[in-house]
Amino acid sequence: MDKENKIPKKIIFESVSKIYVGEKDEAVTDVSFSVQEGEFVCLIGPSGCGKTTILKMIANIEQPTTGKLIKPANVSMSFQFGALFPWLTVFENVALGLRQKGIKDPKLTHEVHKYLTLMNIAELSEKFPTDLSGGQKQRVGIARALAVEPEVLLLDEPFSALDAITTAELHDDIIKIWKETGKTIVLVSHIIEEAVSLGERIILVKEGKVREEFKINLPYPRREQETDFAHLVMKIRKVFFA
Amino acid sequence: MREISRDHKHVKNYHRRFLLSYPATPIQKFYTFLLAPLIIVLAMYFVFRFFPALNSNQPENFSLGDIVEASFATFGRLFIAYVLAVIIAFPLAILAVYNRFFEAILLPVFDILESIPVLALFPIVILLFVRFGMLNGAAIFILFLSMLWNIVFTLVGGLKIIPKDITYAAKVFGITKLSYFKKVILPGVFPELVTGSILAFAQGWNLTIVAEAIHTYIPGGVESNDLFGIGSFLVHASSSGNGTLFIYSVLVMVVLIAIMNLFVWQKLLHKAERFRFE
Repeated sequence: MDKENKIPKKIIFESVSKIYVGEKDEAVTDVSFSVQEGEFVCLIGPSGCGKTTILKMIANIEQPTTGKLIKPANVSMSFQFGALFPWLTVFENVALGLRQKGIKDPKLTHEVHKYLTLMNIAELSEKFPTDLSGGQKQRVGIARALAVEPEVLLLDEPFSALDAITTAELHDDIIKIWKETGKTIVLVSHIIEEAVSLGERIILVKEGKVREEFKINLPYPRREQETDFAHLVMKIRKVFFA
Repeated sequence: MREISRDHKHVKNYHRRFLLSYPATPIQKFYTFLLAPLIIVLAMYFVFRFFPALNSNQPENFSLGDIVEASFATFGRLFIAYVLAVIIAFPLAILAVYNRFFEAILLPVFDILESIPVLALFPIVILLFVRFGMLNGAAIFILFLSMLWNIVFTLVGGLKIIPKDITYAAKVFGITKLSYFKKVILPGVFPELVTGSILAFAQGWNLTIVAEAIHTYIPGGVESNDLFGIGSFLVHASSSGNGTLFIYSVLVMVVLIAIMNLFVWQKLLHKAERFRFE
């Protein structure tokens, strides 16, 4: 048994399929893969391929129709457009999960400010979501997801609606947070370059099935201009568009 | 910390800055606060001045205080009917939106029930309330029915536009059942609830004339059966040709509605902007 296999697995999918109520076709079919503790995995694939369904099952939003899914109870998620509650301030949005867990002041305020500071948005504490830019909303969404100190952090295309500069800044921040906290992260994206920039491993999903896995051994920070980066992107692109 | 405290104050004061549901220009404020009320008063004056036939009988002993008191009695009935309508509308709307089985059954039923005029339900009102001497109950029931569907349909619309991601986020953070109602549904439908409430109250004010003049729908009813309220005042004034009472009653009612619009609905409409999904 090599060193890699000794690391405990946080998420295990065993022949998982999912059919939504009222639908005929399976959203995902016979999906099997695992994610190790502390690993950064990216699920990529074209729109409608089932990658978000996989994420929803990990987040306990949806249940598998058949197959076996092992995952920790404490999973948190950041959404594509932030999914912030518009009537709550940034502070209250981040405090949402903590309040549900029964955490009260002064610990609550301390925890919220800790994650607002981590995401560089402490000064936005009393603003409402409508007053924020797309990048700021994503930062709040990630702070909210981190505040509950999850064992697994799920990111559902969090950078897809952002400009290139904001995306690059957030990529750097995510990598920094991942390295500092050692959290297990599963990110969904349809952008190959993004997945290669961030993930240790890429799982390619097509038509509801896991098509191929790619191990990324490039050192961080990764830049698109590097030759190895470009080769990897090309390699994945061939399977992605096959 | 000072920055946060200043921001907090800013948030608290946010809604106080707007008297209307929108940041009104001086001209809009002039229209709203001066010109519109002036037009109403002038219209009343001209009606009174040039249609003396309305005033053919001697005015009875009704003071302005009586009319104001009657308006508040009517408002009380409207308020009770409104609260009941909201309490009933929420479960109906939630069932119709979140349960596929009930959605298929309830929405067509709501459509049919909404199209039945409240006046057609008088036999039920008589059977349920008037026969047992519950005259206030009869009036409130009529007002409740007139308000209910406005609130139900706006709530159904509001529930349907709560984004799926908000629902998922709630689930991820453990917000389910009663806390989902308190933390997602109530604030999520707040803008639609305000709109529905405005429509419901408008409908309610329209129906007060019918609801309070109980003698008009009791077989063999007399005016002494009528409830004390602005609706029955208007019916009485109209039938007895008491133009003064009629005009003052309408005027007091208009003023009360205008006050409610300015100090309740406009504030709530403005506040509702914070609750809208992007």
